[in-house]
Amino acid sequence: MSRTVILRILTGLAAVAAAFAVPFYLDGFWLQAGLFAMSAAVGAIGLNLLTGATGQLSLGHAFFLAVGAYAYVYFGSEPEGELGGLGLPTPAAAVLAVLAAGVAGGLLSPIGGRLKGQYLGIATLALIFFGQHVLFNATPVTGGYNGRAVPPLELFGFAFADSPGLVVLRVPFGALERLWFLGLAVLAGAALFARGVLRGRPGRAMNTIRDHEIAAGVMGVPVARYRAGVFLLSSMYAGLAGVLLALAFQRTVPEYFGMLLSLDYLAMIVIGGLGSVAGAVAGAVFVSLLPQLLTRYSDALPLVSDPGTGGLSPAEAARLLYGVAVVAVVLFLPGGLAGLASRTRAAGRRWFSPGSARRRFSPSSPETTSPESTSPETT
Amino acid sequence: MRNLRSTVAAAAILALAVTSCASEKATGGAAPSAAGGDGVTTGPGVTADTITVGVMTDMTGPYASFGKTLTQAQQLYFEQLNAAGGVCGRKVELVVRDHGYDPQKAVTAYTEIAPKSAAIAHFIGSPMVMALKSRIETDKLLTIPMAWSTNLLGARAVQVTGTTYDIDMINGVDFLVKEKGLAAGDKIGHLYFEGDYGESALNGSVYAAKKLGLTVVEQKIKPTDQDMSAQVAAFKAAGVKAVLVSVGPRQAASLVGVALAKGMDVPFLGSNSAYSPQLLATPAAPALLKDFYVATGGAPISAPLPAMRKLVSEYQAKYPGEALDSGVSAGYPAAAIVGEALKKACEAKDLTREGILTAHRARGAWDGGYGTTMDFSLIDRPATRATYIVKPDKEAVGGAVIYKEAAVSGLAEEYPVPVG
Amino acid sequence: MITFLELLVNGISVGAVYALIALGFVVIFKATEVVNFAHASLLLAGGYVIARLHEVLGFWLALLAGIATAALVGALVEFLVIRRANVAVRSVLAIVTIGVDIVLTTELTRRIGTEVLALGDPWRDRVLRVGEVSIAETRLVALAVAAALITAFLLAFKYTAWGVRMRAAAEDAETAALMGVRLGRVSLSAWAVAGALAAVAALFLCVFPTPGLDRGTGLAAMKAFPAAILGGLDSTTGALAGGLIVGLTEALMNGYQNQLAFLGRGVGDVAPFVVMLAVLLVRPAGLFGTREPARV
Repeated sequence: MSRTVILRILTGLAAVAAAFAVPFYLDGFWLQAGLFAMSAAVGAIGLNLLTGATGQLSLGHAFFLAVGAYAYVYFGSEPEGELGGLGLPTPAAAVLAVLAAGVAGGLLSPIGGRLKGQYLGIATLALIFFGQHVLFNATPVTGGYNGRAVPPLELFGFAFADSPGLVVLRVPFGALERLWFLGLAVLAGAALFARGVLRGRPGRAMNTIRDHEIAAGVMGVPVARYRAGVFLLSSMYAGLAGVLLALAFQRTVPEYFGMLLSLDYLAMIVIGGLGSVAGAVAGAVFVSLLPQLLTRYSDALPLVSDPGTGGLSPAEAARLLYGVAVVAVVLFLPGGLAGLASRTRAAGRRWFSPGSARRRFSPSSPETTSPESTSPETT
Repeated sequence: MRNLRSTVAAAAILALAVTSCASEKATGGAAPSAAGGDGVTTGPGVTADTITVGVMTDMTGPYASFGKTLTQAQQLYFEQLNAAGGVCGRKVELVVRDHGYDPQKAVTAYTEIAPKSAAIAHFIGSPMVMALKSRIETDKLLTIPMAWSTNLLGARAVQVTGTTYDIDMINGVDFLVKEKGLAAGDKIGHLYFEGDYGESALNGSVYAAKKLGLTVVEQKIKPTDQDMSAQVAAFKAAGVKAVLVSVGPRQAASLVGVALAKGMDVPFLGSNSAYSPQLLATPAAPALLKDFYVATGGAPISAPLPAMRKLVSEYQAKYPGEALDSGVSAGYPAAAIVGEALKKACEAKDLTREGILTAHRARGAWDGGYGTTMDFSLIDRPATRATYIVKPDKEAVGGAVIYKEAAVSGLAEEYPVPVG
Repeated sequence: MITFLELLVNGISVGAVYALIALGFVVIFKATEVVNFAHASLLLAGGYVIARLHEVLGFWLALLAGIATAALVGALVEFLVIRRANVAVRSVLAIVTIGVDIVLTTELTRRIGTEVLALGDPWRDRVLRVGEVSIAETRLVALAVAAALITAFLLAFKYTAWGVRMRAAAEDAETAALMGVRLGRVSLSAWAVAGALAAVAALFLCVFPTPGLDRGTGLAAMKAFPAAILGGLDSTTGALAGGLIVGLTEALMNGYQNQLAFLGRGVGDVAPFVVMLAVLLVRPAGLFGTREPARV
């Protein structure tokens, strides 16, 4: 048991403890922003499997998020007036919603399997416009432009809602505090599963398809089946993110599931680092929290002026920074934020424990195999 | 190793348990409510010397121009209020959050400012208000939305000012029949946006058309549509005698321009969000100045009312050279509604949210000098049913003048408003 | 019948504008195999310059300035970003152009603010009437310009040295490079040309029947995506065909909205995408696109 391992375990534990402590200290703003970030992280992990690991561009991620969110609401709500609903227990509704997103992905997988790269990207653009049309017009299911109230999740009699009241360690636990822990659990599960996929046989097959499709076929990887399968898996991740998002929003908003959302997801995985779970999470946190932080602390920042005073507003500054980040990461930071972190760690290891400076041969951890390092020319 | 791990875990949990007692959030779950030294009961957003009022606006999204003037007009009101001594000896402080018309940012910003605000003086974007409506209702936070669709009615804490879009359209159709020669059996076009704005307005036009024996020819578009040629062709083919316009200013300008160029000479009547004075600087101006009207519940900024004149001069003094548009004439009265609710609540020595709401909803007839009289005791109905007919005008302040004074048509009077 | 003819003419004329935008996508895709999401901001940049300068320089000089600026911006994007990006998968470059688009669009919309800017074109709101059918002059010009430009590109790809280099690079970049084609120059020129095309398209997007340039103008570029991919991302003819198909679908669906009410209203925006999906399922590389042969 080397010192580095102990160090790693300690940092891990500290991170977990910090994550658990958050709802006890930070106010609603942080919890709300954090919940959005967690949901984005789950969705980004899914997209990273498709785009980062397999090289398939998708602009339809927002559509699958919408399927997840709306399916949860539809399955979990009692019928009310002209709005339909199945009134299932909410945990069942959540599971079914993820499956529904999977079914939607499965129905479209002929497209996902046949089209590749950027052609798929633009084809999936169609899903967003189609999805918006359905959200606005299928009123009995979606509530139309009004959206629908999201039934709070109730797990074994414990409701993730403001009532009944609950006080933990003298801190009042409302919906946000409770959902925080749910979000953590969902994110951890989603991340572990994706890590398993990426580190195992499927992950290697996916990377081979990305790096050289024909070589993958020659080596016996069923390319079209893998592409379709990853498309399905990534849509289920989006569905799960959609459920979490609906719970955090407490109401579905049809306008939200538009093209900008899909573009945000692509930006997340590039900024965070393509093809890795940690990268997706880092990117999601960066993209979700940056505008919130800039708005909240705009007084303290140079160059950023108050909204309406004519200068660069916080929202605009956030957009600019985020656009620049996408470009800068690709130009200067191959591997994204996750790549940066692993390189810093590697450098740190060399500094702190000269004894263990020899290179570790871990079974291709996703952080160390950034796409740039392995791929041949793909022209 | 296992030992170490469990020790660390135990230590972490212990540390958490101990320190959380020192956390600011640890209130033991008791609701914070206190009586100040002056005998006024206070609630969230009210301290011994300040009252915080939130503003949820859009300064970087599609309603940026509206959001900017709205916010400035409201800042002007609260500055004047503070200069006159504030409310209950407290200064009113405005906290402005720009959500850029993004529901996620709006929900986060609301979560941030709601616990420390006593009211929300304006909230742009009905998708965002709708997303938060039930939370606003639970929080009992008096909120003035800057959107006029019927789905915003029915919550005690949400006060829609003036008329809703459907009422405007009913009064508008009535105006077309009475003054523009439409008769039973005629067809009338309605171009509207997907979403609550357009579809609320459509409810009104369909109702009025049914009562008056007209037929509505519907054309639904999305905000990204820019060229209205196909829609004009469809209206022309249907032989409509007038067109109602519940879209954005850009689409309205395209519609009116194309219709004029193609020799379709009919009157156009827009909802209050279909016109913007900026359009008078574009080639669409002649068409807009010809036969285009706007039905709106709020008086235009050029209205010959003393209070409005005063507002114009004060606004121009504070923000010289800035455009005066409907944001000013809508924002300042909305701020006044909140300001006067606070004063009433102060008189009752109850500045809790419940106290502010009660004070606000107790006012059966309020006009503040800005034209329409509103009844705030109505929760599931619009505060007024009187609509102005306004016409674009190059010379006027704010680019529009009153064409016909505010009036309630018989149809609008008996119209059952759909709620929720 | 009159309505149908009118919608047909409308559809074709809108389609011409989409074809111009789609042509910009095609030129870049041919040279660099990137779907350019920054095209919207190039449009906005070109339109903005025309709008700001037409009062000072007059319309035609302002148009030239707009075209030059957009071409320069396009070239700069290629030189500063695309060329330097070291990526394995072309899809990532597409995402990079999203980043570029966000930066440029944010700055341009901040400058445009809340104004609606007129472009000062000489055609104003005149329409040409043939019998009962009328069509805006701006659209006739757009159709003529699109047809001329697409013919010019077809000829240029076939007969000029630039065209040959471009095709060689698209066919097999490595071999082309070995045979003395400077890939950097090919790519740079393609981006500049696409920028110029974007400015021309911006002109026709912002004149009558629309009131002018505003912050939302760039979004129209998104409608040209189905046009470009439907025709085939690497086909000049495809851009024209795709543009016309999208324009016609949209116009007819909108015009007959009342007869199609069972599909839900506002279906005109979705229809082009449905057509695109249908085409892609049958021909994954679009109508005129070339299926990339497998190279090992």
